[in-house]
Parts: sequence; C-alpha cells; structure tokens
Amino acid sequence: MTPTLTRPPARPADEGWERLEALYRASRDDVFAYVATLLRDRAAAEDVTALAFERAFRRRRTFDRRRGVERAWLFGIARNAALDELRRRRRLATLLAEPGDAADGPRVGEDPAEITLRRTTVRAALDQLPARERELVALKFHGGLSNAELAIVLGVSESNVGTLLYRTMEKLRRACNATV
Amino acid sequence: MRRSEDDLFDPEIAETLEAIEATLAGEPVDPRFADVAELSLLLKADRPRAGAEFARSLDERAAARFAAREPGSPRGMRAWLRSWSFGAFGAAGAAALAGLIAVVVVVSGGSGGGGRPAALTVRAPATPAAAGRNELLREATPSSSTTSAGTPHLNSLQAAANGRKVIQSATLDLGAPPARVDDVAQEVYNVIGSVNGVVDHSSVTSTGGSDGSAEFALRVPSASLTQTMSALSRLRYANVLSRTDNTQDVNSRFVDAGRQLADAQALRATLLKQLAAATSQQSTDALKAQLAAAEARIVAAEATLRNLNRQVNFSSITVTIQAGAAGGVGPSSGGFTLHRAAHDALRVLTVALGVVLIALAVLVPVGLLTALAFWTAAAIRRRRREQALDLA
Repeated sequence: MTPTLTRPPARPADEGWERLEALYRASRDDVFAYVATLLRDRAAAEDVTALAFERAFRRRRTFDRRRGVERAWLFGIARNAALDELRRRRRLATLLAEPGDAADGPRVGEDPAEITLRRTTVRAALDQLPARERELVALKFHGGLSNAELAIVLGVSESNVGTLLYRTMEKLRRACNATV
Repeated sequence: MRRSEDDLFDPEIAETLEAIEATLAGEPVDPRFADVAELSLLLKADRPRAGAEFARSLDERAAARFAAREPGSPRGMRAWLRSWSFGAFGAAGAAALAGLIAVVVVVSGGSGGGGRPAALTVRAPATPAAAGRNELLREATPSSSTTSAGTPHLNSLQAAANGRKVIQSATLDLGAPPARVDDVAQEVYNVIGSVNGVVDHSSVTSTGGSDGSAEFALRVPSASLTQTMSALSRLRYANVLSRTDNTQDVNSRFVDAGRQLADAQALRATLLKQLAAATSQQSTDALKAQLAAAEARIVAAEATLRNLNRQVNFSSITVTIQAGAAGGVGPSSGGFTLHRAAHDALRVLTVALGVVLIALAVLVPVGLLTALAFWTAAAIRRRRREQALDLA
C-alpha cells in the first residue's frame, strides 16, 4: 500500500522537503522490512524505522539529489540505527510468522501447504546465516537495494557485493536443498 | 546491461547475479537458474510488512516533518540545551576576546607617551647659585653618570651604598598647561618643604600663555633624593619632559683632603713645640711663618671637606617648567587630534591582530585535538556497530 501523506495547508513550497517526502513514500516499507529482518523483532523494528526517518528528516541538508545515492543514504542511517539497537539489546528475538507476512498467496495450481513449507525452509536457512550475510539478504531482497546501493551502504566495492551475494545465495540454496 | 565490473567476475557469478536481477524485475530467467530464481522469489515474498497502525502513525509524523518534540522531553531538552550552549559559548568567546583586546590597549597606553620623555639630555643648571657646583661637577667627569628617564617607573637612580662619598644631582624638565604654571610651582614648593629641602633660587613667569615658565634651584637631603624626584615626577598638573640624574664619586678627593688636614695639623703641632723651644728671634720668626702656612693649609683642607660633605649630604636638583609643552599625564593635558585618533586606531588594530594570532596559536592545536577526538570517537562507534552485527 503506497503511503499517503496529508500535508498541512498553506505550507510554502520547498523542493528539499518534497524530495525527502517522496523518498519516504518510496522507502518506508523497504526500510521497515530490512530493519525487521536484521533485528528479528517487530516492535524494535518499528521504533528503529521511525528513528531512522526522523534522523533523515533532521539531516536533510546532507540529502543527495542523485537517485541512486538517496536510498543508500537513507539505508545507511537506518543501518546505523539498527546496529545501535543491537548494541543496546544484545539479544535475539525470534521473528515469528505473523498474519501480515503472508501477502503472496500460492500460485494457481500449487498447494498452499507446499508454499508454506518452502517459506519455512527458506526462513530457517536464513536464520542460520551469519548476521552479515543475513543483512545482505535483507538489504537486497527486503530493502530492494541495487548492488550499487548495497556497495555504498556496506562500504565495499560493487564487485565485492556481487561476490558476497552470490556466495550467500549459494549457501542458502544448499541449505534449502539439504533440508528438503 | 553490462557492467564495467563484469570483467572481474566469474561468468557463473555474473550470470547468477543477472538471473537474480531479472527475477526481481519480473523478467523470464534461463531455466539453468530456476533454483536461484525460486529462492529469490521466496526471499522477496518473506519480506516483513509494516502493520497498518504503525504505517498510519509514521505517515502522520512524516506529514508533520517529524516536528520538534514537546518541550521538556529528553531529546528536545538536550537539543535546546545544545543549541543554547553553542550560542552562549560563541557569544562568551567573542565578548572575552573583545575584552582582552580592550584591556591590552588600555594597559599598554595610547599615544602621547603619557609624559615619558624619549630622549636623555644633560643640562647644566641655569641658576647662578649653582655655578660653583657646576665647576666641581665638570672637573670630576670620569665618575659622573646620566640615566634615561624614558622608563615606565620614574624613580631616580641611587648610588650603591658602599660607604663612598658620592655627589648626586638631578635635572627635571616639566611641562604644564599654560594656566597651571603657578599651580605646578606651588606643588614644587610643597614637595621640597615636605623633605626639609632648600630652595636656593626660583623664578616663576606666569603669563597664562604658552610662554609661561618657571625655574628652580633646589637642594634636598641626599637620603630624600629618590623620594623627592618621584614626587616631582608625579605632580598633578605637570608631566615629565625629560630627567637627568648625575652621580659623581668624590671619595678620593675626600680622602686626600682629610690627609692634607691631618698632615697640616700634625705640622702645626710640631711647629708649636719648636716655637716654644725657640731661643732666637730669627728662629722664632721663621717658625711663625711656617706656622701661618700650616694654619692656612688647615683652613683650606677643612673648607674642602666641609664643601664636599655639603655636596654629598645635600643633592642639588634643577627643575624647569615649560608652559604648553606636550604631555599626557595631567587631567588637562593634550587634546584630540586626527593624528592621535589615527595612531590610536592603528594601535587597536595591531593589538587586535596580535590577540587573534595568539588565539589561533591556542585554538588551532585545540581544534586539531578536538577533530582527532571526534574522528577517534566515530571510528570507535563504527567498530562497535560492526561488532554488534557480528554478535547478532
């Protein structure tokens, strides 16, 4: 669902604010998904997501116009906020299956139980990954970042990101096949 | 789409990554990568979704542009205190810097010299009563000395207290406003009277104009010379134009005169004995003549000793007053001129530049250390965040 913002009336035009609000609309769910996967705690993920956007709005003067960097800048802020939360908590909370997660239903002709089994298998394999690899998956598949944006957020080269992503996917694939 | 980094990739890696991108974009994928495609779709489908209530509340806050928190809240209070403290610190620093500049300018003085003469001159007293002393001073040139009056303190020099006989004298030139010549003259009288000194000669010409003048030939106890010169240099309506201090060691002359006196007295005693034993008129006359000569030498030696003692025990001071001479000590001294204003302005700028340079010499190292501390703190924070991820 695309978030909508009801802007207060009679607010003077501000190009910077409009860009930031557009970024918010495009990234709100992505940021939450990434943070939730990393923290594995929905309540904490909501707090961290709100904190990340609050910081982004406060630091809007460091906002970069280039589209590819805007999201990387925002996810960098979110990453730092999430890591700060991990430092404070130093614990893991299992992210249990919740009703809202089942957005995509089974395909036509497929058994719902099979879909659930596959997702459970993938989720279990994901939980077995080291935090850094799990973060990579969260940024790529839940946050929706490109490899170039991943490189900026993680502070590595784009080729390095590709290699890390490939290895992580291979590890997941082997884990899923081994389970099956 | 071919990336420049493809050249570094294993072909299998590159093809796998392309399959992932195609899957996420909803495009068809080579069947060789079916597993990867399915895995990508399952990962994407397993993405956590924000609750409706949370989304709504976050939308409201974003619409309000995450406005500042309520007053009194911890973060709002901290931010308010931080901004206020930075502003207060900056204002206090600027005020301290301005105050420091003002203090330096005032303490070191403005233009005009404040009555401190720049040159040293040796002047002979102009009064007839001091002419004789002039002769003595000029004859003993090797042991005389002069001192500069261009020093912040206005005390005269003192001869070393080594028991030797030293004649001290001084000359003081004062400037005064034309209407204050009489007042300054009276101040001179008061100072001399307070130290039980003697005014040998004085001449005061008060015209109310710039041609007014006064001249004094003074004698004060040598022990009070320093005190007297200090008092004369700090008269209320006068300022010092120049000052000369002279000292002359006459100890050898004192010793010689004393020896001559002793020799003459011994000779007289001998001659008196011889006269008492004289038997002839001729020897008596000869002895009387010698006795007269000895008496004359005794009188001369005693006079020399008395004169030396008087000069040693009483120092002479010559004071002249010039009306309208430049100076800045008195309350009515000097006036505002464009030249003086320009001089003062230049001095303020010079002092301000000096203060800025000193401040930079302090602030640059402090700034570098602060920057290093911030960088170190940021590096530590980054490291701790990465460690938290490793422990997660």
